[in-house]
Amino acid sequence: MLLIFQILFILFALFAIANVLGKKREGLLGPKGTLFWILFWFIAGVVVIWPNSVQQIANNFGIGRGVDFVMYIAFALIFFILFRLHVKFEELKRDVTKVVRGKALKE
Amino acid sequence: MFVAIVPAYNEEKRIGSVVQSLFEHVDKVIVVDDASVDNTSEDGRKAGAVVLNHKINLGQGAALETGHEYARKINADYVLHFDGDGQFHVEDVIPAFESLKKEKADILFGSRFLDNRSNMPWFKRYILSPIGHLVNIIFGAVRLTDVHNGFRILNKRALNKIIISQDRMAHATEILALTKKHNLKYIEFPVKVTYHEYGQSATGGFKIVRDLLWGKVVRK
Repeated sequence: MLLIFQILFILFALFAIANVLGKKREGLLGPKGTLFWILFWFIAGVVVIWPNSVQQIANNFGIGRGVDFVMYIAFALIFFILFRLHVKFEELKRDVTKVVRGKALKE
Repeated sequence: MFVAIVPAYNEEKRIGSVVQSLFEHVDKVIVVDDASVDNTSEDGRKAGAVVLNHKINLGQGAALETGHEYARKINADYVLHFDGDGQFHVEDVIPAFESLKKEKADILFGSRFLDNRSNMPWFKRYILSPIGHLVNIIFGAVRLTDVHNGFRILNKRALNKIIISQDRMAHATEILALTKKHNLKYIEFPVKVTYHEYGQSATGGFKIVRDLLWGKVVRK
């Protein structure tokens, strides 16, 4: 029997995938990004429905519980994405500076 | 040609007189209006300056670099960095300029500590300045008596080497680091600074360190 949490999570994952497809249609996500995020939510869903599925992998890495393994991966992923976003943001700022400067010098 | 670059943000009260008094000492004055909401641009123009407008506020470092680009375009021989808020005094310009030429230096930095003319608040003198020194040492800048003084004169060589990528206040440390990196000959010269407002706060200092750290990570 599925727990309430599992049902809610699956619904959320489906919602997230629908969102990903929507963004793809609007051209905001490339094929790589689309594939990554669909796979991401799919795997997350599988892990939530069958928590024991990660147990074996966790054991291979010397981590006791499957949940811990998922947590470590999730944290690493979140911080990596955060870092990438921040760098992207700084790059954008540099680009804005270039555009604003170019315009100031043209006038 | 000796060109003054005056970064300005909402300086309508003082910009006119700053520009006018600068014209007694330099050939051309460039005001970089960093998206002011007041009449900084009009007042600068009326006083005879070339005014470059940033459509959005980018910060003092970005404004100086915009001025640099313009100065490179018009083939300036020397540029002066001079704040638009009237905290510097134009009497210092010519003696500083003469000193730069006499010493055959590439870049001159104004210093508040080489004489006693500046009315520096004690917190700035005894707390913020020592921290500024430490930050400069960490980020590989040349060592000066006054780390964050906006009064500078650059010759053509320095103008071509010093390309500011730090848009906000971290540019002061960046300029010192570039001076060291490109082996520019530098001198310090006493200038008077009059404080109208407080200027760099402690939180501003943290922002500088953050910007410098990010500057090491993000591509130019």
